[in-house]
Amino acid sequence: MDRRRFANWSLKAGIVAAIAALLPGVVTLRGRSRTSATRGVEPGDRLVFALGGNAGEVITEGSFTQNEAVLAYPEGKSDNHENLAMVCKLDPARVQPPTDMAGTAHGIVAYSAICTHLGCTVRFSEEPMEQAPFPHIHCPCHGAMFDPQHGSTVLGGPAPRPLPQLPIKLNAKGEVIVAGPFSAPIGVKA
Amino acid sequence: MTVPRWLDERLALERFRAKYLGKPFPVHSTFFLGEIALFCFVILVATGLYLALFYEPSAQLLQGHGAVPAAYASTLLIDSHPFGALMRRIHHWTAHLMIAAVVLHLLRIYFTASYRKPREVNWLLGLGLLGATLAASFAGYLLPFDQFSVTATAIGYGIARSVPWVGSTLADLVFAGQFPSSATVPRFFAYHVVWAPLALAGLIAGHLVIVLKQKHTEMRRAGAQPEAAEGAYIHGIPLWPEQVALMGVLFLVMLGVLAALAAFLPVHPSAFYGPPQPVTPEVKPDWYLLWVYGALRLIPGGLSFKLFGATIGSEVFGAMLVPGILSLVIVLVPWLDRGPSSLFYTEPPMASPLRLALGLATITLFLALSLAGFGAELGLSVPVLWVITVVAPVAVGWAAHALARGRLGPLGGAPG
Ligand code: HEM
Ligand code: FES
Repeated sequence: MDRRRFANWSLKAGIVAAIAALLPGVVTLRGRSRTSATRGVEPGDRLVFALGGNAGEVITEGSFTQNEAVLAYPEGKSDNHENLAMVCKLDPARVQPPTDMAGTAHGIVAYSAICTHLGCTVRFSEEPMEQAPFPHIHCPCHGAMFDPQHGSTVLGGPAPRPLPQLPIKLNAKGEVIVAGPFSAPIGVKA
Repeated sequence: MTVPRWLDERLALERFRAKYLGKPFPVHSTFFLGEIALFCFVILVATGLYLALFYEPSAQLLQGHGAVPAAYASTLLIDSHPFGALMRRIHHWTAHLMIAAVVLHLLRIYFTASYRKPREVNWLLGLGLLGATLAASFAGYLLPFDQFSVTATAIGYGIARSVPWVGSTLADLVFAGQFPSSATVPRFFAYHVVWAPLALAGLIAGHLVIVLKQKHTEMRRAGAQPEAAEGAYIHGIPLWPEQVALMGVLFLVMLGVLAALAAFLPVHPSAFYGPPQPVTPEVKPDWYLLWVYGALRLIPGGLSFKLFGATIGSEVFGAMLVPGILSLVIVLVPWLDRGPSSLFYTEPPMASPLRLALGLATITLFLALSLAGFGAELGLSVPVLWVITVVAPVAVGWAAHALARGRLGPLGGAPG
């Protein structure tokens, strides 16, 4: 190999090696938060109010009336946004499959509050609408609508799949307790 | 202007003066759009440097301040300074104006076919500038860390997550992990005050050097020389002093208008939006992203298919395929247009009915998608909006084509 070709070749090899050496560094962009790792929901967690004057207080069966819903976190885990749930109290007779019936109690059903479209926080409304003449969940961002009486199936709008259900039960004091993991991945799924 | 002898003997400035300060600038009001964008950048840097003196890039909750995040608290602190709120609002209004100026500048280039050979490179750099400006704005939007900012960024995060196959990795790389979490604010601060301004400065420099090298196009005047004529020269005013005087006036007028807007129209009032909450307010994106928002609302959730293990769903259509295809077509404009290239002259917008029609149809499509963002408020249902989105661009394009041809004869090639 003559000198010119050798110089040319080693320059190219050097450039490729330098770029290859940088690639693993890209992975560090993923970032890590300084606070302790956030935790997901676990069976046995008590659900507490996420908002308002009573934020942090445990939600009980008597905390809300029928056709009402509250936003909740598992106790002590409000730093993980993916834990945000919407606890709805519905007419027990009208809660039907595909809802996981074993994960409901006295008409109380909980779903992830994070829209499966692009991740906004959904809202509960008992105002009857054309598409949903019954209490329903809707998203303020692009208008997705879900049916909480039927496993939050999609009634309309751009959401690709139902809100994952969070199975709950009531303990002896009437507190709302997590009975199992969310039924599907939270929020936007690639 | 003459260069003082003392300086000239040392720095040879006279040569520079003779070569560049006499540069002719063709005059037309639309030729100032790029300059408006440039001045916006200058004003953004100036006001941004001030904001950066006080801003605290941290989402950490402050103890005993109603537990609000530090970034939000520092934004309110800036608002409470004498002139602080004015600075923030000028910064925000200027960001809007910069985007508008870049878009209008692009339309001017398009409708006068100024992107043709040899100017394709600057067409691409210009689109890079548009992208960098939007990126800078998106990153800046999060910084005040109020309820509105966090909602906007969360949607961006959702869109990144929905990218097929690589979505969650991509979202983690760009947002420094899950959003909302505490790592995103410092990351976006770095994007906003270091990376984006550096990228913009580099792109602007390249863009302007190329304009200097290739010379500005001008309007073809009656009796103008044909392209290749010997001694063809550009008609315009010299850089110094006429053009500089016009630029100075323009800059001061812009500063005045922006200050007045900032003084009377409180844009992005963080204290009013309040600190971030887990609920999502009823919000719409800024005007320049309304079309994406409209597309997201138009596309039903049922529309999805599986491809190599990934689900291509409605959010991919609305936020990636529609904008992606539109952007690709715009990038390729200089290669799709097979018209004769001109080194010196702009082409009258009506000279090519097809270009005119496609341009106006595309603008109408953007407007129709934006309108879809207001469907609920206007009482228009999704099917009606679909009809508008399809019919309006076709109708506008067809009408423009017919008008341009009618005016210019069947071949449509005669100069207007
Ligand atoms: C060197 C250049 C720049 C610096 C140092 C800078 C600095 C800052 C800082 C510190 C903030 C947070 C404080 C606040 O929100 O009020 C901010 C906000 C913002 N910036 Fe910039 N910036 C620069 C350029 C730009 C550019 C080029 C754009 C877009 C075209 C832009 C758009 C925004 C927006 C939309 C906000 C949110 C404003 C608001 O609070 O209402 N900035 N910038
Ligand atoms: S995020 Fe809920 S509909 Fe788009």
